Amino acid sequence: MSNKKAIAMLLLALMMLIAACGSGKNNAQDSSSSSAGSSPSGSSATSSAPAETIELRMTWWGSDARHEKTLKVIELFEQKNPGIKITPEYSGFDGYFDKLNTQIAAGNAPDLIQMGGNIREYIDKNALLDLSPYVGNVLNLEDFSEGLLKKATVDNKFYGVTLGVSTFGLLYNATMFEKAGVPLPSENWTYEDFKNAAVTISRKLGPGHYGTYDLSSGNNTSGLSTFLLSNGKELYRDGDRRFDRQDMIDWFTLWDDMRKAGAVTPPDVMVANPPGEIDKSLIVQGKVAIQAAAASQIYGFQELTQDKLGLLVFPVGSKGSGHVTPDPGQYMTGYAKTEHPEAVAKFINFMVNDPDAALILGNDRGVPPSGKIRDLLAAQSTPTDKVLYDFVSTVSRIASDVDYQQFPLDNELLKLYQVTGEKIAFGAQSIDAAVDEFMTEIDKLIVKAKAQ
Amino acid sequence: MQKYKTYAAGYLFLLPWLLGFALLYMGPIFASLYLSFTSYDLLTAPKWIGWANYRTMFTDDYRLADSVNVTFQYVFLSVPFRLAFALGLALLLNQGMKLLGLYRTIYYIPSLLGGSVAISVLWRQVFSKEGIFNDALGLLGISGPNWIADPKYAIFSLVGLSVWQFGAVMIIFLAGLKQIPQEFYEAATVDGAGAFRRFWRITLPLLTPVIFFNLTITLIQSFQTFTKAFIISGGNGGPINSTLLYSLYLYIKGFSFLEMGYASAMAWLLLVIVATMTALMFLSSRYWVFYSDGRD
Repeated sequence: MSNKKAIAMLLLALMMLIAACGSGKNNAQDSSSSSAGSSPSGSSATSSAPAETIELRMTWWGSDARHEKTLKVIELFEQKNPGIKITPEYSGFDGYFDKLNTQIAAGNAPDLIQMGGNIREYIDKNALLDLSPYVGNVLNLEDFSEGLLKKATVDNKFYGVTLGVSTFGLLYNATMFEKAGVPLPSENWTYEDFKNAAVTISRKLGPGHYGTYDLSSGNNTSGLSTFLLSNGKELYRDGDRRFDRQDMIDWFTLWDDMRKAGAVTPPDVMVANPPGEIDKSLIVQGKVAIQAAAASQIYGFQELTQDKLGLLVFPVGSKGSGHVTPDPGQYMTGYAKTEHPEAVAKFINFMVNDPDAALILGNDRGVPPSGKIRDLLAAQSTPTDKVLYDFVSTVSRIASDVDYQQFPLDNELLKLYQVTGEKIAFGAQSIDAAVDEFMTEIDKLIVKAKAQ
Repeated sequence: MQKYKTYAAGYLFLLPWLLGFALLYMGPIFASLYLSFTSYDLLTAPKWIGWANYRTMFTDDYRLADSVNVTFQYVFLSVPFRLAFALGLALLLNQGMKLLGLYRTIYYIPSLLGGSVAISVLWRQVFSKEGIFNDALGLLGISGPNWIADPKYAIFSLVGLSVWQFGAVMIIFLAGLKQIPQEFYEAATVDGAGAFRRFWRITLPLLTPVIFFNLTITLIQSFQTFTKAFIISGGNGGPINSTLLYSLYLYIKGFSFLEMGYASAMAWLLLVIVATMTALMFLSSRYWVFYSDGRD
């Protein structure tokens, strides 16, 4: 009896063992094929399929509006290039670079990657494809100005084609301004004017309505960096910060005063409805009148509201405007380990030069870099297009002639800035104490950046 | 001889797990031990830096201190509440009611869903300023804050979500309750013991092995909680680090800030913390856990 039992157990255990091994093997296969990128699966696909279909993966971040447009362009490209198939991998901005970093570390990043102002970091780490062999044949950049190509060029190698020129600004709800009877500010408005406008809007529109989001909190440093530049300082240049403790005190005090005057969203409202998340933004709901944003984001916001939205420049300081010259904000790049670099270049070329693609994409990633495409779009521009064009040209005109440099560990700076702002806004720390901590931490970041 | 056969069968049963551990887990574990002594940004090769990561952890990282603090708060609130809640429901369901199977299933559902992203998103809505939780409070005349956006309360919404996933613990309690012989209760009733006395003198002591098991498992799980905090805080552990659970901070360090060496060192510190807590539990167990089958 007990013998039988033991044998039954043995058999059972053996079965489980076999099952476990079986699945283990499958897992191993799966992970090996995905971690080695497209090489094994790609080569097997080509050997079995006589037509040699090239399969590319493409990743980008953005709003739903951008996803739709980009998907349409991919479809169009596939129609015109039957040999190439593109699998899209898109998401919002949150977590985009976390995922990308992991994929690059594992060696299986997508072939086509949308990059932002941090492109240099990825060039330095050899993650991006050198496109220079394709410039002039597959990739046509004739209509591009020299300045647009410079930022993505390192040691005569060219890594990314800009998808559009954009700049930071203040996105505002014009309908709310109108309702509150506040006249639209001029491009020379000061923070005093800003405060008055925000206070009036809060008061006139009643409880639950605020003049402005808190630019001293949240994960967007454009308010701070324009404030510093408009007062003759800078966030960062050539390996160092170019501002003092007092500048930060001034900035946070400015916002603390406005908060006390009731002009600013309270911190819990701000956390629950972060200005960066378009579907939660209170600008869209007509409850907050001003927020900081990348100018081209106006498309995503405007799509969700009947209110009229517009763009304003940041207030001026003692040294004039703190705006810098509009930048190539986003790039399309190739992955250094892609199996099909030529197809990658071909698609990038399609995105920036094909008239049909251009009409679909519009100005969603900023004002297009090619002169011909700009003329094409201008011929049939929408009111929102006009707002964006006007704003970009205003900023170009008033911008200080400083050559802007991005803080090297931007992601970490944003988190630090957000926590500092929240500590002050929630009253968890005094401005003095919070700024002391901020200065200590930012100096650590600078040391870390230098070590890299 | 018979004894060895039984052991062999036991090890055979263990084999699939052992193989899985050896083939799938061992490599990454040793790799992370190595990486914890390096500076590794994921994109370029790791550089050996000795104990520097560990030194920074203990001397120069105030966010880590915040994070450990928040994690202990979370664990010490959520574990007792979850166990108590699960035990209470198990006692109710053990009254021999009709449709027991149905209720058991219904109460187990949150545990199946609770770890998912969708539930965390739902939780964010429920506890927002205009969420249904505040609506319910409103009926009582209380005007609630925004539970997830206020640093004073944010941790409680995480604790609440954790308590709500009581199902697995409850099922194990139910099984434990069924093991207690009915004769004990009958004898006690005859002797005039009331319901509370029966619970205190019979149920609880005989249930201690199950409580011990649930406590240990839940404690270990709670230290590793990630998804809830990630989704509810929008990935940053805010406001003001108030939901920056240990695993979330580890993730931010490793994948957002590209300090995978440091994140690996953090993982080993977490292992030490969890191992210490578990060891303490086992040491304490002989003073309060009672095995009725006569073995010591």
